[in-house]
Amino acid sequence: MKAAVVVIGSGISGLTAAALLAKKGRRVIILERNKRPGGALKRFTRRGIPFDIGFHYSGGMGKGEILRALWEYIGVWPRLVILPFPPEGNENLRIRDSGRVVRAFFSYDRLEDELQRVFPDEKQGISTYLNKIREISNTIPFFNPDLPLTPYLHDLFSPKGMSLAQLLTSLIQDTDLHAVLSTPVFLYGVPPREVNLTIHASVAHPLYSGVYAIDGGGQAIVDAFLATLAEAGVDILTGQEVESIIVKENQVAGVKTSKGEICASHVIYTGHPTSLLDMVPDGIFRKAFYNRMRNLINTNSMFIVFGAIDDPDTLGDLTWVNYYNIRTGLDIMDLDLRHPEKSIMINAPGRRDSDSTGASRGVLLIRMSAWDEVARFDQGVQGKRSSAYRKWKAESADKMIEQAGRLWGDACSRIEPLAIGTPLTFRDRLGSPMGATYGVQHSMNQFSPGVRTRLPGLWLSGQGTLMAGIMGASLAGMVTVGEIEGLEPLWDEVRQCR
Amino acid sequence: MISDEQVRRRVTQIMAEEFELEPELLQPDATLYEDLGLDSLDAVDMVVALEKAFGMKMTDEEAVRAVRTLGDLFELVSHLSNQQAAKE
Ligand SMILES: Cc1cc2nc3c(=O)[nH]c(=O)nc-3n(C[C@H](O)[C@H](O)[C@H](O)COP(=O)(O)OP(=O)(O)OC[C@H]3O[C@@H](n4cnc5c(N)ncnc54)[C@H](O)[C@@H]3O)c2cc1C
Repeated sequence: MKAAVVVIGSGISGLTAAALLAKKGRRVIILERNKRPGGALKRFTRRGIPFDIGFHYSGGMGKGEILRALWEYIGVWPRLVILPFPPEGNENLRIRDSGRVVRAFFSYDRLEDELQRVFPDEKQGISTYLNKIREISNTIPFFNPDLPLTPYLHDLFSPKGMSLAQLLTSLIQDTDLHAVLSTPVFLYGVPPREVNLTIHASVAHPLYSGVYAIDGGGQAIVDAFLATLAEAGVDILTGQEVESIIVKENQVAGVKTSKGEICASHVIYTGHPTSLLDMVPDGIFRKAFYNRMRNLINTNSMFIVFGAIDDPDTLGDLTWVNYYNIRTGLDIMDLDLRHPEKSIMINAPGRRDSDSTGASRGVLLIRMSAWDEVARFDQGVQGKRSSAYRKWKAESADKMIEQAGRLWGDACSRIEPLAIGTPLTFRDRLGSPMGATYGVQHSMNQFSPGVRTRLPGLWLSGQGTLMAGIMGASLAGMVTVGEIEGLEPLWDEVRQCR
Repeated sequence: MISDEQVRRRVTQIMAEEFELEPELLQPDATLYEDLGLDSLDAVDMVVALEKAFGMKMTDEEAVRAVRTLGDLFELVSHLSNQQAAKE
């Protein structure tokens, strides 16, 4: 088979890259290892209840905002029904140590009012922090599209500047407020001491500017792309793992999959960068590159109970409010295994869908998790793991359900687990080392992998290259195509769609 | 304090190993880009390898970009590791 470009991976970054290339007139084939396309955006169903894995909400879909502009440009926007969070929607943050409750609204103004009400002694620090985030976002082209992309991307790939922790401790005394303002790290997976303000602002700014869900969840995004790609003549071959990159005369010539060979002059790889190393013949990359890619620090993993709840109204508005119970201070990830009472989050977005029924519905209990928790169970294949693992998994889920009951009322202690995600699950399903939910950390401790490689025709994309989240991964797809087709002209066309 | 000689030996060793270069090529007046054949993509990998070996940060991008020869690199690494060690 022949294609001008092969895109490896059908997550949001691969779908985006393929759609943009097709628009540029390229012949594109997407290759996906899993049976169903969509990567982390796929939905699964248990007992008729749909569950999302990698998309619950995102910013950037308001008028004039970047994700919307990109989706308008690609042509998927009209296929989607966007559900803006109502003004009352928020992250309901309960600080375990003090019992304080803060509603983190998805609006700069409402958030500022709420924070100043709960932390009257920190008024100045709160305003300065929010202004700082706004100010930084104004230097990021994705939020200020009049700016060119090139200088920003150049700086982004080198880690420097002040950390979020440094900013917070310099402005604010109250450790509860440190925790509250650190919560966006849950959406990108880098601890506050290790993330610089540009990366933090890239997630916090859209969060404070208004967030959106989509009718039908992540699957609706996948389906919209599939329809658009079908019209553009892009083929998606699923159940085909790319095993190696074919190189001829020191240039990409195609890929070898589990089912055969495909010729292509460009290959875009959207999976985890470390996994690429084994796919490239020896002698192409230098040892220094192998070492750097092998030693990349990954984001943490999660432990998720996907369950059914019989009284969804127990907590008030579980549809547009995410309830958290978190620790005070900057150790917000709460990964230390010695702490028995973990930070935990509950959310039940089922009723957002237009075709949802009101009765029993899906609920997610989420906590951060580290690979250490499951390393000892890493043997055997998925679906056939040891009984010790199954036992640990069930007990850990029960512990979370019991904790949820204590925190949020009886109905939560009756949550019936229908599926459980552990670092092992995410490692196997997402192909991410150690189950890293957001792949590679974009942290001050390392250089994120770049888009270009030493091998002409081989390009990287995906959340590992630019930013995590569906916005980050979509923009990563755009940036990679920009590197191939001309970055600023593509950026120009996309930003016209605002 | 790490001596210039120690820096020179260690940097040479790292460049030889990580970029699979012939040790004879690694003379102080060898230019990184022409003589040693590195390119701008290698530069990041080189910085990461040196940072790891010397336990320091090479975040001053201007200074890194000003490096032309292996000799310049010796000097920069020497300067940064001693400067950063003094701070700790
Ligand atoms: C639990 C969880 C909750 C999240 N919640 C949110 C949220 O609410 N909002 C938000 O914005 N983001 C969220 N995210 C993050 C978001 O889902 C990801 O950042 C984004 O989907 C990553 O997209 P991607 O295309 O980079 O990677 P992926 O979606 O992982 O796609 C990569 C694809 O490449 C395929 N692949 C890899 N190697 C090969 C190979 N050799 N051959 C063939 N195929 C291959 C994989 O099978 C996969 O399908 C969440 C993530 C997780 C895990």
